[in-house]
Amino acid sequence: MEALVPLHVRQARRRKGFILLATGFFILVQIVWIGLPILMAVLWSFVSAKHSWSYPDLFPKVLGLDPWRYVFKYTNIKRALVTSYSIAPFAVALSFLLSLPTSYVLGRKNFPGKKFFNIVVLLPIIMPGMVVALSLSRVFQAVRLSQTFVGLVVAHTLMGLPYMIRVLSTSFQTIPQDVIDAAENLGASTFVKIRDIYLPMVLPGLLAGMIFAFTTSIEEFNLTFVIGTPTFETIPTILYSFMGYNFIRTNASVVALVMMVPNIVLLFLVERFLKADYLSASLGKM
Amino acid sequence: MKRDGTTRLHYLMLVPGVGVILFFIATTVIVTVARSFGLFSITGTSAFTLKHWAVIAMKETRDSVLYSLKMGVLASIGTVLVAFPVALFFRKGGSGKRMLGSLIKIPLFVPALVAAFLIVNLISYHGVVNEVLIGLHLIKAPLRMLNDPFGWGVVFIQVWKNLPFVLLILSASLAGIHDDVVDAARNLGAGRWAVALRIYVPLAMSGILVSMILMFIKAFGDFPIYGVAGPIYPPSISYRMHATATIFQQWDQAAVLGVIIIVTALFVVWAYSRLAEFVGGTE
Repeated sequence: MEALVPLHVRQARRRKGFILLATGFFILVQIVWIGLPILMAVLWSFVSAKHSWSYPDLFPKVLGLDPWRYVFKYTNIKRALVTSYSIAPFAVALSFLLSLPTSYVLGRKNFPGKKFFNIVVLLPIIMPGMVVALSLSRVFQAVRLSQTFVGLVVAHTLMGLPYMIRVLSTSFQTIPQDVIDAAENLGASTFVKIRDIYLPMVLPGLLAGMIFAFTTSIEEFNLTFVIGTPTFETIPTILYSFMGYNFIRTNASVVALVMMVPNIVLLFLVERFLKADYLSASLGKM
Repeated sequence: MKRDGTTRLHYLMLVPGVGVILFFIATTVIVTVARSFGLFSITGTSAFTLKHWAVIAMKETRDSVLYSLKMGVLASIGTVLVAFPVALFFRKGGSGKRMLGSLIKIPLFVPALVAAFLIVNLISYHGVVNEVLIGLHLIKAPLRMLNDPFGWGVVFIQVWKNLPFVLLILSASLAGIHDDVVDAARNLGAGRWAVALRIYVPLAMSGILVSMILMFIKAFGDFPIYGVAGPIYPPSISYRMHATATIFQQWDQAAVLGVIIIVTALFVVWAYSRLAEFVGGTE
């Protein structure tokens, strides 16, 4: 019977089977790869202080809110949260304002040296963070920006700028010149052009850029650690202090979750805007 | 005449973005280089000297540089090796892949330190990985993967954290490959492996190179992940630089280490751009 089924049908079946198998395997790997680390952190964050979770036990004996209570009561996490989430909006706004004219020029105009400037934009990513942090800390000390809120905003802006400029200039670049020409022919003023062409077409890229700048600021460690501590603690620096010599797994789990959950929620909210893969479009070329 | 005017305007509009970056990065480079020669010293006297460069002759410095180079190379190769098949898998859309697609992007939004912590939970001495391996009778005693002398723990964390980042870049270059080319190869009798190695890899080479270069620089300059999961000795070069400056207050020697890091990063970027020209021709 089997031989009566034409070859191409059998091949198609075999291929379908292969794809199904691959997908199933992949889902399994994904659950272990992403799910397991997060699950472990969640479990650890609920391990009660009185009943430890140690080697032979597969699961914690008693679950409780102890670590959460401890971290929010006795550590600076609340202040760190406030600091982190107040620096980020300023850094995003500032990097947006700074990058707007630059992105427009890089995206839509031609001039000598454009390639060079496109690489210069990436320098904050290329330069190793600790080198930038240590030398900037000396400069910041000289101009009295060290250990200040403004100093941290400036530092975070610098780290967010490459993503913002690259993503924005890519979106400016994708606007077809025909549309602009047509609007001009029909007598559109600069204001109308901005409102009806530039803004709607750049908006998704702008949102993507803001998200990248925002997450960059939330997770920035090197500069914050050197310029901000001990006056300012952000969530990453507080987590680092939990991971060093006095490593307390339960407390670190709480901080890790506090730091991670808003970001993941943000990811699922903005999935739509990341669909176009702005990051790859903007960083894929050097 | 008009052209000159508009060009000048364009350069002016570059100032807020590129200017700010150039200002800060140039300051960084100048301050670091000058200090490594004993100039710009805030405490003590400033005079040109080469004596701080003696640190490069120290065994500790050499060990740190070698360790960081090793991490950069292994992390960049490892991430691309893992990410490339995944990118191929995602190239064709299909049922359930959208959900998987957002699931796999999660580490991109998990800060590096948190990623380090998450993985530390798994690979610690009595962590899940060791217990499972023992349960399956694959190993007799738990493996030391955290703070191991070689640094495999750090490599693993780098791969986990940066997989989605590399995946995005690779997906973009794979998306640019026409199906016709693949179909033609298939028609001519190329198997799955031949298509992957002879069509996808060469055509996605620019994306592969970019992701390797970015990964190398990230892993080479790493500070926090080393601090959490790295070997006890040697420290990563960034870690040594930070300790030299802030704990031992040897800012000049730290600057020398900084120069080493900058020069290595720039050299790698330069080598990449030459390689990209060689591979991709003139673009």
